Amino acid sequence: MDAQFLVSLALIVATFALYIGIAIYNKAKATSDFYVASRGVPPVFNGMAIGADWMSAASFIGLAGTVMILGYDGLAYIMGWTGGYLLLTFLLAPQLRKSGRYTVPEFIGDRYKSDFARLIAAVATIIISFTYSIGQLSGSGVVIGRLLEVNTVIGTLIGVVLIAFYSALGGMKGITWTQVAQYLVLIIAYLIPVIFMSMQLTQNPLPWLSYGEVISEMKVIDQELGISEYIVPFTEGSKWQFIALMFTLMAGTAGLPHVIVRFYTVRTMKAARWSGAWALLFIGLLYLSAPAYAAFSRFILMTEVAGSSLNNLPAWTQAWVDTGRLSLADGNGDGILQWTELVISNDIVVMATPEIANLGIFVIGLMAAGAMAAALSTAGGLMIAISAALSHDIYYRSINPKATEQKRLAVGRITIVLATVIAGLVALNPPGAITQIVAWAFALASGTFFPALLLGVWWKRANGPGVVAGMLVGLGVTLTYIFAAKYGGFTILGIIDTGAGVFGAAAALITNVVVSLLTPPPSKKIQEEVTNLRYPEQIEYKDGEVWVKDAK
Amino acid sequence: MRKIDRATANAYFRIRTTLIVIYLSIGFLVSFGVVFFARDLSSFSVMGVPFHYYMGSQGAIVTFIILLFVNAKVSDVVDKKFGITPEQIEQKDKVVNQ
Repeated sequence: MDAQFLVSLALIVATFALYIGIAIYNKAKATSDFYVASRGVPPVFNGMAIGADWMSAASFIGLAGTVMILGYDGLAYIMGWTGGYLLLTFLLAPQLRKSGRYTVPEFIGDRYKSDFARLIAAVATIIISFTYSIGQLSGSGVVIGRLLEVNTVIGTLIGVVLIAFYSALGGMKGITWTQVAQYLVLIIAYLIPVIFMSMQLTQNPLPWLSYGEVISEMKVIDQELGISEYIVPFTEGSKWQFIALMFTLMAGTAGLPHVIVRFYTVRTMKAARWSGAWALLFIGLLYLSAPAYAAFSRFILMTEVAGSSLNNLPAWTQAWVDTGRLSLADGNGDGILQWTELVISNDIVVMATPEIANLGIFVIGLMAAGAMAAALSTAGGLMIAISAALSHDIYYRSINPKATEQKRLAVGRITIVLATVIAGLVALNPPGAITQIVAWAFALASGTFFPALLLGVWWKRANGPGVVAGMLVGLGVTLTYIFAAKYGGFTILGIIDTGAGVFGAAAALITNVVVSLLTPPPSKKIQEEVTNLRYPEQIEYKDGEVWVKDAK
Repeated sequence: MRKIDRATANAYFRIRTTLIVIYLSIGFLVSFGVVFFARDLSSFSVMGVPFHYYMGSQGAIVTFIILLFVNAKVSDVVDKKFGITPEQIEQKDKVVNQ
């Protein structure tokens, strides 16, 4: 037990107490509270909550590391995950808000007048959110494992217990305000080390302006070492992989059920637009800082760690080597650690850099608390999406329509606990880096929900058979491509598993359009409801006539 | 409730859709457009960072954020021009929704 451990633990416990306190204070009382927080959250705070929900372990722990390892090619994650908000806020969120449904499967079921479509959507929600939560649990395993200096497996198990406990407790309303607190914790935790490193390396407290200097210096070092330069594009994959991945992440963002449901917590389309804008501003703070974080980390590793004697490595290295995510092998046996002999996992760069840069125990503890906030807040939102899909869309709407609210809440809570435990078991031996696992969830969302929602909102001719065929084909193509690319070495234009969504989305869109045109159009009532989504709440479209509500 | 002209409603929808197409085109250009020509655009720098890298790490994101705020603000103006104000939301919805 050293001072670092105590400080980290104290900060994590203190922030947890804060979140749980808020959750208990807002303890859910009725079903509408549990799912969508009674639609009364102001846009600025909703923006922060979306930010916390959105910025997962992948963004907090994985992103800067991924950019550091992949160089320019890692920026597909930065642009993809932020650009998705354009698609979401421009094309889907306001309209979905006006439709006034509780969950995404419910919207799809009612819009396409198909119980089967609702069931597929509910199952897809569960698959996507489940895949995503594996990444979160794997991330919390890295943090807890390092903190307690135990194996990542035990760290993951502890994370499972924490996440199951508090998502089952609070429900969405608790989670909305808890997530505002989590956003503040995680953004402060992320910015402090970047700003400190910026001051250490460039004497400029604004990392966003100063890291160009570091990038120019690295260019010289890269050339001396004769390795591929950091900022040169497409060294890790083809240009098409970059574009496919970026598209997958954007379309996936616009189709992620747990993010869309956030836009149901506002009152109007206007509030949905403002929530989207605030959300991206808050998210952007972290995404703009990640490339700076990556550049500083790489520079510090290159100049301060590489080149030192293997017998005389700093103390931090041992703890990370123990977690199995860092390897320092003296390949040429000269007793000196070369840059090329240092192999660091994407997932530990963010957590390890403050230690490497010697930023002090308080900053390192704060990072641990921030990382836990990121993993926990997203996992919480995911678990709500899973439980809503199961208890509302499958259990209540298909199995037992007479279920009381209490019974549905109970089913929801049991689902959360079960889903967390199963995701935790998979996360014990994660099938990829955190950003990669999360990218698969996005590929699945862009192959199923994005086309179904896009056509559902913008094309009134799309019908039930079209969406059923579209979602099944999209899911099938995406899953097949992920497995074929990851395990079979199959690629098109160099596009690997993480870019699978581009094929899934294209296949689903085409299938939906073709099958819709070959089958009878939806009823006049449905078509009118779709036209009605064009207008804000104050305007109502019915029977070919447009009505405006009078001011009260 | 009062009835309005179908043409007015269509005009509202057309303005909103045109604006969205413009915003999305700009967003597409600063992300996909720059990536596509990344090698050609790396010859000059912004704040010490070659342009293609600068756009990927900062330029595109800042553009996205600006687009979303412009959209939110302009949509409010368009709504107002068409006589749509928050006061028209029914009182009972407000009570339920708070």
